[in-house]
Amino acid sequence: MEEAMGNTALCSAKRNGARSRSKLRLAIKGSMITAMVQLGIVGGVLAVWQWGVQAGIISNFLVGSPAGIFVKMWQAMLDGSLWMDTQTTLVEAIVGFLIGSLVGSVVGLSLWYSPIFARIVEPFIVAINSVPKIAFAPMVILWFGTGMISKIMLAVSLTAIVALIAAYEAAKNADHDLQALLLALGGTKHQIFFKVVVPSTLPAMISTFRINIGFGLVGAVVGEFISSSHGLGHMIFNASSLYDLNSVWVGLFALMFVGFVLYYVVDSIERYLLPWRQVEANQRLRV
Amino acid sequence: MGVFLFYLGIYAWKFKSMTMQTPKLSLRNVSKSFQSKGHEINVLDKLSFDVYDQDFVSIIGPSGCGKTTIFNIIAGLLKPDEGEIYMDGEVATGLRGKVGYMLQKDLLLPWRTVLQNVVLGLELRGTPLKECKDVAMEYIYTYGLAGFEHAYPKALSGGMKQRVALIRTLIYDPQVILLDEPFSALDYQTRLYLEGVLVEAVETFNKTVILVTHDIDEAVALSKRVVVLGARPASVKSVHEINIGQRTPIEARSDPNFSGYFHALCAELEIQTKVGS
Repeated sequence: MEEAMGNTALCSAKRNGARSRSKLRLAIKGSMITAMVQLGIVGGVLAVWQWGVQAGIISNFLVGSPAGIFVKMWQAMLDGSLWMDTQTTLVEAIVGFLIGSLVGSVVGLSLWYSPIFARIVEPFIVAINSVPKIAFAPMVILWFGTGMISKIMLAVSLTAIVALIAAYEAAKNADHDLQALLLALGGTKHQIFFKVVVPSTLPAMISTFRINIGFGLVGAVVGEFISSSHGLGHMIFNASSLYDLNSVWVGLFALMFVGFVLYYVVDSIERYLLPWRQVEANQRLRV
Repeated sequence: MGVFLFYLGIYAWKFKSMTMQTPKLSLRNVSKSFQSKGHEINVLDKLSFDVYDQDFVSIIGPSGCGKTTIFNIIAGLLKPDEGEIYMDGEVATGLRGKVGYMLQKDLLLPWRTVLQNVVLGLELRGTPLKECKDVAMEYIYTYGLAGFEHAYPKALSGGMKQRVALIRTLIYDPQVILLDEPFSALDYQTRLYLEGVLVEAVETFNKTVILVTHDIDEAVALSKRVVVLGARPASVKSVHEINIGQRTPIEARSDPNFSGYFHALCAELEIQTKVGS
C-alpha cells in the first residue's frame, strides 16, 4: 500500500517535472522572441540612420553615422583608450555609489532609533535634498582636486541623500504591529531594529540602489566634464568640443552599456537578498 | 486539648489556602484614558478581574469598548494610568516576555520561513536555532505543516498562517496566552477547526488563556469563564461561569446548556434581537 502510494507520488512528481519543463520551454521561447524583436528594433534604427546619412537627409557632421561610430569604437578598442576610460568612470561611479548608498542607508536607518533627533534633522535633510546636488560639483572639484577622488565624492553626494531619505522613510513605515509583537515577546529595541525594521526596509532600499546606480554615473561623468584627464565623461566632452560626434556616440554607448550591466547586477542582488519577494511575484495574477 | 485546637487551626488554615487559589493574573482597578483632539477619552474605568491558572477566560463587550486596550495593557505594551496587575500574587511591573500574543493578523515576518517564524520568540530569548530546531519541527509536524517548514508565509493559506502563529505562541511557552480575535478573519470551517486545535493545545500544555472576542458564540464554546464589559469607559459588568462538559468547540455548540449561556450573554450585551423598537 505504502509502496503504491510512493509510486503515485513519484508519478505525480514526474508529471510535475514534465509540466514545469514544458513551462520552462515556453518561457525560453517567449524570451527569445522578445530578444529578437528588440534586436530587430536596434538594427532597424541603425539601418535607417545610416541610410539617412548616406541619402543626405541626416547631417553626418552634427549627428554622426553608425558606420563612423563603429570605426571610432574599433579604433578606441584597439588602442585601449575605450577600456581605460570605461574603467575609470566605472570605478568612480561604483565606489561613489557604494560609499554613498551605504553611508546614506546607515544614517537613515539609525534615525529610527531616535524619533526626536530625526524630527530635528528632518528639515535640514529636506533642505539639502532640494538643492540640485550637481551644483556642488565645482566646489567638490576645488576641495578634492581633479583626480578620481573628486568624482567619487560627487557620486557620494548624489547618492547618499537619496539613500538616506529612502531608508528613513522605509524605517518609519516598518510594520508597527510586528514591532509590538516583538516587544510583547520581550524583544529589545536592538532586536526589533535588526529583526523587523532592517529587513522590512530592504525592498525599498534596493529600489533606491537601482536609482542610485544612475546617480553614481551622473556624478562621475559630470565631474569628468568639469575637469579630468580620463574617463568616459572626459572622452565625450573632448570629442564634442572637436565636433567628433562619432566618438561622442561611442562614449554614450559605453555609458549605456555600463548602466545596463550595473542595473542587472542590482537586480540579481535583489533576487538573492529577497527570496520571499519571488514567491509574491510568482503568485501575482497576470492581467 | 490546646494542642488539638492548634492542629485544627493549622488544618483549617491549610484547607483555606487550598481552596483560595491565588489567581495567575489579576487586574485591580485598572484605568486608562487617551488624549484625543485636546480632550480626554476614558477607555477603561477601574477594571478588575482575575484569571486563574489553566483558566480560559473570554472578554466580550460592545465594539469599541476598549478590549484591545486591555489586551495591550496585559501584554505590557501600554501602561495603565492607575491600578495594578498582579501575576502569581505579586505586582507585575512588566509582562513583556511572559505572555504569548496572537492577533487577527497573523503577524508572521514575511522574510522568514515557517521554521524561522516559529522560533522567533525563543530566538529573542537567546536560544540558538540549533537547540530548538527539533522541537520546532515536531510542532510543525503535529499541526499538519510538514513539508512547509521552508515555505514563506506568502505561500500559505490564511488558516495555515494562523497555525504557524499558534505554534509560535505555544513553543514560546508563555505563562499566559493572549488572543485578540485570532480567528475572526478566517472562514467558518477553518475557524471551527482552529478553535478545536487551540482548545486541545491549551489542554495538552496546561496553558492559561485570555481571549478577547466580539463573538459570543466563540466565547461560550471555548471558555471556562466569560467576562462581560460595559460600554466605554469599560468596567466589568459581570462574570459568567460556563459549565459545558464537552471537550471540542463543535460538540460544545450542541450542548444543551449552550443556547442558555448564549442568550444570557446576548441579553447582557443588550443586543437588540428585534429590528426597530
